Amino acid sequence: MTQLEFKQKSHLHPELIDANVNADKLVGRWINTNWETRGIAECTVGPDLNVTIVGVGEDGPITWPAVKATPFANLEEEAGQRTMALTATFDLGFMRADTHMRINKGVFVIVLFVTFLDGSGRANYLNREFFYRQA
Amino acid sequence: MSKTQYAQLSDHVEPDPINPDEIDRRALLGNWINSNPDTNSIARIKVFESNNKLQLQVFAVGPDGIIDWGTTTADVFAAGPASRAGAGFACTYDFGFAEARFQAMIMKGLLVLAQFHLFKDESKRAGYFLREYFAMTHDHF
Repeated sequence: MTQLEFKQKSHLHPELIDANVNADKLVGRWINTNWETRGIAECTVGPDLNVTIVGVGEDGPITWPAVKATPFANLEEEAGQRTMALTATFDLGFMRADTHMRINKGVFVIVLFVTFLDGSGRANYLNREFFYRQA
Repeated sequence: MSKTQYAQLSDHVEPDPINPDEIDRRALLGNWINSNPDTNSIARIKVFESNNKLQLQVFAVGPDGIIDWGTTTADVFAAGPASRAGAGFACTYDFGFAEARFQAMIMKGLLVLAQFHLFKDESKRAGYFLREYFAMTHDHF
């Protein structure tokens, strides 16, 4: 049998081999729990894992270009649940947003690491927002 | 009229220019220990500065003891686009057979670390995600 390379014990977790990475629980339209947000108004995850984010704008919603997300298995249970995570990078030219998304107790969480590429002097920053599933 | 581009209203700010090196990293610096003594992942992380860059040294749990991953440089992220307060970091370790990407943030004094492991070898291992909490060791009590 081939020896697996590793850098931590969890690299050898038996469930990683041919793991069924199922993203069904993440698919849907998610609305920000905070209706006063100045950040992300909503997020839609398609069955093909294409993710669309709509930002809050001054004159109305701003739809970011959709990107294909990468699914990650989750080895740890959190609050009795085991749900997978997605990562997606949105490149808007003047800024890049590296995101990860997951569900915790039914709440969809987006963590955003924003890097400005336009020399505007704004600080690169991180943020986290919470979303509920649109019925 | 402002020509600042933004994709969400919270980014529509025009602060005095903030150089990435000006972000205050003091809250990130130190020795962080995993809150879970039974972790199969990272036991502790040393976060320090060198040549004005944020550096990480990770010590992971292996089957036969601690594995020193060595150091890597991390990008620092503030608490907002007009903030000079460091609130987290992101970095990547490339092991050849696999890659570990980190996105970390400070929350209530804890370092919350999201890890994304992607395998690049032929082992058919699925990429996986871990989220763990680290406390900064100190000698105040």
